[in-house]
Order: sequence, then C-alpha cells, then structure tokens
Amino acid sequence: MTPSVDRSLALPVLEVTNLHKAYGQLKAVDGVNFSIEAGEIFGLLGPNGAGKSTTINMIATLLMPDEGRIVLNDHLCSTSPQYKRGLGYVPQEISLSERLTARENLMLIGRLYDLGGVELAKRVDGILEAIGLKDRSRDLVSTFSGGMKRRLNIGAALLHKPDLLLMDEPTAGVDPQARAYIFEIVERLAEQGRGVLYTTHYMEEAERLCRRTAIIDRGRILATGTLAELTRNVKARRDLVIEAEGLTEGNVARLAAKLDNVPWSLDNGTAHLHVAGTKHTLLNAVRAADEVGLQPNSIRILEPNLENVFLDLTGRALRD
Amino acid sequence: MRTLRIILILTGKQLRVLSRMPGILLVIFVPGIVMYSVFTKIFEGPAGRPFKVAVVDHDESDESRKLIDALDESVMIIRAADGESDGALLTEEVARREIREKGKYRVALVIPKGFSLAPNVMSGDSHEGVELIYDETQPMEADAVLGMIQMAAGRRLFDKFSALQQSLSSSTKAQSDDTPSMLLQVKKVGVSIDRMNIASKHLFLAGIVPMFLLFGATGAARGMIEEIDSGEIARLCAAPISAVHILGGQLLSMLLVAMLQCYSMYIFAWLVFDVGIWEITLGLFVLTLITTMATTAFGLLLGAICRTTQQLDSIGTIVILGMSAIGGSMVPRWIMPEFMQALGLFTINGWSYDGFIALIRNEGFGLDAWLQNGLFRGIWLPCLVLIAAATVCACVASYLLRQRLRVGPAR
Repeated sequence: MTPSVDRSLALPVLEVTNLHKAYGQLKAVDGVNFSIEAGEIFGLLGPNGAGKSTTINMIATLLMPDEGRIVLNDHLCSTSPQYKRGLGYVPQEISLSERLTARENLMLIGRLYDLGGVELAKRVDGILEAIGLKDRSRDLVSTFSGGMKRRLNIGAALLHKPDLLLMDEPTAGVDPQARAYIFEIVERLAEQGRGVLYTTHYMEEAERLCRRTAIIDRGRILATGTLAELTRNVKARRDLVIEAEGLTEGNVARLAAKLDNVPWSLDNGTAHLHVAGTKHTLLNAVRAADEVGLQPNSIRILEPNLENVFLDLTGRALRD
Repeated sequence: MRTLRIILILTGKQLRVLSRMPGILLVIFVPGIVMYSVFTKIFEGPAGRPFKVAVVDHDESDESRKLIDALDESVMIIRAADGESDGALLTEEVARREIREKGKYRVALVIPKGFSLAPNVMSGDSHEGVELIYDETQPMEADAVLGMIQMAAGRRLFDKFSALQQSLSSSTKAQSDDTPSMLLQVKKVGVSIDRMNIASKHLFLAGIVPMFLLFGATGAARGMIEEIDSGEIARLCAAPISAVHILGGQLLSMLLVAMLQCYSMYIFAWLVFDVGIWEITLGLFVLTLITTMATTAFGLLLGAICRTTQQLDSIGTIVILGMSAIGGSMVPRWIMPEFMQALGLFTINGWSYDGFIALIRNEGFGLDAWLQNGLFRGIWLPCLVLIAAATVCACVASYLLRQRLRVGPAR
C-alpha cells in the first residue's frame, strides 16, 4: 500500500472540456466540463440516460466525441497505447469470460498490457489478494456470486496500475455487503494516488465516496462541487420532521398553511414538511406548531442531501 | 511482432473458452459426421444409387444378366419380382404406364432378344443395342442412367478382355502385342467410368463439409455477438490493442476450429468409408484451408450484420440451408439441372464442392491444363474464387464491426 497523497499538491489527472456527443437529434452529452485530480474520487451522479456512460465511454476511447477535448496526464485522447495505458476501465457489465478462471482472466488482461512472466504473476496475486479472491483464483468466473464478479471486474482494470480509473456504476446489482467491500477497494485506490471517475445513480454512493460530485442530467452538468458546496449553493428544500401526540391530518395541514403552504405528509404518526432551508426555519416551525396547538415530542430538520439537490435542480427525483 | 503476439493471446483465449464448452464442441464435430454417414449409407455404392431403373430383359441370357448386375452397382434395379413392379409381369407396356402414370421409376431399360449374340459395338453391325424408356420431363436422369449403362457395358467389355488377355498369355508374342490396342478401346469407355466412380462417400463429404463449416462459423459469430453484448469486447477495446488484434484473434481461432472440424470429418471418412484422403494430401489441405477461410469470413460477416444472437440464429440458418441446398451439400451438384448448377457457383458450398470433386478425379491443382489447353480443371479456380469470397466477406465484416465497436454495444 503506497502512502496517502497530499491532495493540496495534486495535479489534474484528467481534464474534460466542452464534450459533446449526439445520436441523431438526441444530445447524449452536451458541453460537459470537469477535471479530476490525482487521489480524487470524482462522482458523476445522474439518473439512467443522463449521459454518464456516454461520457465515460468517450474517455475510454470506446466512443468518438463529436466535439470537445479530453486530456489524460498530458496525453490528448486517442486510441494510442500511451493514452490507453493511463486508463483503467471498469465497465457496467461483468466484462469477463465466464468460462475462464479468475486468474486466467487477469493473466489475459495483463498480457494485453504487455505484462508477462514473474511480474505479471506477482501483480495478479496482488490484485487477487486486494479484491479478496485469492482462495477462489482457480475457480471459473461462472461459479462466482454477483459481488465477486464485480470485484474481479474492478481488479482486471488495476493490473497495469493506471493513473485514472473509470468506474461505470460498479455496484449495480450487488448486495450491501459486497457494495461496502467495493467502496473499501475504491477508497484504497484513491489513497494510492489514483484518480477515480465514479458514475452512479445512487446518491448515497456519491455522498459516501466522492470528494466532488457533478450532477448530470440530459447530457448537461447542472452543478459540480463537494457535498457542502452543492447543498449550500442551491436552495435545497429540507425535511422538517415533527413527532407529536395527537397528530392529525387536520392539524398538520394547518401547520403547513402557517409555513407558507409547504408540501406535507403524515406517516405513522410522524409529520414531514418540505420547508425552505433558512436559518429561521426551525424557530418558525416551533412557533407555528404552538399556534396550531401541537406539543411536539421532537422537531428536527434533516440536512439536505444530493437527492434534495437533484430535485431542486431538475424538479425531478433522482430515480424518476 | 506485437500484433501477432496479441492475436495469438486472444486466439488462445478463444480456444480455451471453447474447450470448456462440451455442448458446443459436440455440435461442431458430431452432427457433420453423423449426417455424412447417414447420406453416404443411404446412397451407398459407386455414384450412389439415386436412380431406379426398371429392366425388361427379353434375352434372359448370361450376357444380359451380367450387364444388369454391372448396372446394379450404380442404380437400383427393378425387376418383375420386386415390390416396385407391383407384382405385375414387367413388360415394356407396364414400364411405359408406370413412368407415365405413377412415376415410381422414371427410366426403363429394355434388352432385346438376341442381345448376347452381339452385346456391344465391337460386335459389328449385328449389334442392335438396348432401348431406354424415360420420362421426357427428366432428361437429366435419363442421361445419367445412359452414362451408367455405358459404364456397365464398359466394365463387361473390360472383364472380357482381361479374361482374353489371360487366356492368350501363353500365346505367341505377336498375338500378345495385339491385345493392348483392344484394351485401350475399352479404356476410352472408361473415361465415363472414372467420372461415375465418384462415389456417394465423396459427393457427400464434398457437400457436407462446407455446410457444417458454415454452421460452425455461425456458432463462432454467435459467441462474438455475446462478447460484444457482455462488454468483453469493450474492455478489450479500452486496452492498448486495436480492432485488428481483436478481429484477428476471432478469425484465427475460428479458422483453427474449422480446420479441426474438417479434418475430423476427413479422418472419419477415411477410417469408416475408406475415402482416400492421403492420396490428395496437399491439394486437400490447400482447398480445406481456403474453404475454411471463406466460411469463417462469411460467419464473421453474418455476425457483423446481425445485431443480436436471435437475428443470427434465424438469418444464419436460412442463409446456410439455402446455400447448402443449391451448393451441392444436400443433393450432388452433377445431377442438378444446369441452371441450378450455375446458381450453385454463387455459393461457397458450390465452389468447395467442385474443388473437392476435382481432387477426387485426380485433377490436382490443374494449372497446367489451363495454361496449356485453357481447360478449367483442378482446384485452382475454386481456390481463387474462395479466396476472393473470403477477402470480400472479411473486409466488409471488418468494416461493419469496427463501426459497431466504435459506437458501443447495443443496449
């Protein structure tokens, strides 16, 4: 394990400028800009069809951009070996041969990157150890669970020690335990100084893993920043949660009316009101509750998350 | 050098994957051998016995019976006692009616009384010959049977002269010198015999090999589509290798499996049906290699055209069965009408078939015949056409696949 990098000194590993890709009239990617530093996990968060995979496929040279510029460690995007050696690509699908063993798959990929002999064997052993598959290395991939296949899918992209890892929804379809294992692997990679471009439509993943996140929808990046920056810069609505004895639809509706007719719901004796996030929100809520005759056991405001940010930016929920 | 190494790495991977698919291996190797055996057994004998010939023997002599026996090696003889004649006494009238009304057979041979007295043209003017009654709508069949009768007559003549030569072996030298010129006349008839001696075991090997090569190539193309859909190829494309490496790996592995498929059938044909593959080793290897190149490239083209495995399965089956039907894989090309034979030249099967038959006829590469006499004999022309077909198919497939890989898999 290499020591952690000092992020304040990190240089951009990847710079994407004004990237465009259209399929006929459909603009899949429409002027995307971002950069990723060494040791940074950069999230690309958006719903299905937002343009995440198209963006990642253009960086991976699988798609030709219509317009724009991609620079990886001073190498302009091209199908040249120099550019490709800097990239590790983890596709959305399990892109491994089911009829080869884990070791055979890794050896094959390693040879394509001109690795061989003892060096390749050592790297394969190291990767199998890192992804927790050493004891299953001689088993066919077809006998693996979904989570094990996902881990191997990631491991295959690490053999040649790339500077930037492109991960296209790497946790799709895996159980929570396997997901947590994958998170650990990704975090370790960042600690080793690798840049990671991580696409997901799970805001929890972006919040947990990514130092910065770009919110993408319909091919355009709507906002980019850390979680704090994103929630600060948008007028995200927050969830005011009130628990009280004697909560009825009538008194919750009156309370909502006093708070500028905000949307509300009542679930299992708990009221949820979607209020604007200002510094007086909680005080106003307490006053309004008193005025409608409510005596809350608890009253709290949930911090805004990326789901709120996405809703605020697009008017739609992330998973719509 | 790196290109070759990467292609070999990818080829090795494909072969290793295939070796772990026993079901697919069975489909590649077994059905061809089974179908070849079935067809060969059905039409067993020299040139097969696809024709039924009713025989009306007015002579009923030893000579006429021997002629019929010789003909029996090539066609299915129907006599009065056979069920095919419905128990009726087989006369010329019965045969005409059968041909006209029922068509259980389409040709009848009438041997006249006194045939044994002058059984062939060498008997001089007293030779009256035989009568062939046939269905006018099937002139090709009548021509084929006519050739077989000539072959049978030639064999009889040959047997006679062999016996004559033996009886004269103790005679004077002058008498012995005369014999070879008489035998040479018999051999002239033998040109026809040579052609007819291409047995069903050869015809069906020539036909079934390209058909199953095409099915095998389509199976490999299916695997390629699955690799595109699973993202395996996308991962390869992201590695520092090019589409040339990926396609090269696919082609080479398909080619090796196809060659193995061919030689498993050849060796089976040699072991079980005594097909003389070792007498034509070089020509057979060249023709097989070029045929497998053509079928492999054609399979790759089908894989490039079809977006899904379902499309490939349905389109591939229709196209291959169509090509096989007109290309001689199901019915020997030489008994097809002329326009069908010409149509067969638009198929890989047809050219592969013609090349194989040329090898069996001992025509070899045949370039000399063309250079000296302008004759299209041997395998050089089939090989040239198959190479052209392979090149066109591979180039178009390569273009389509490169386009497809650049826009990503269909999702």
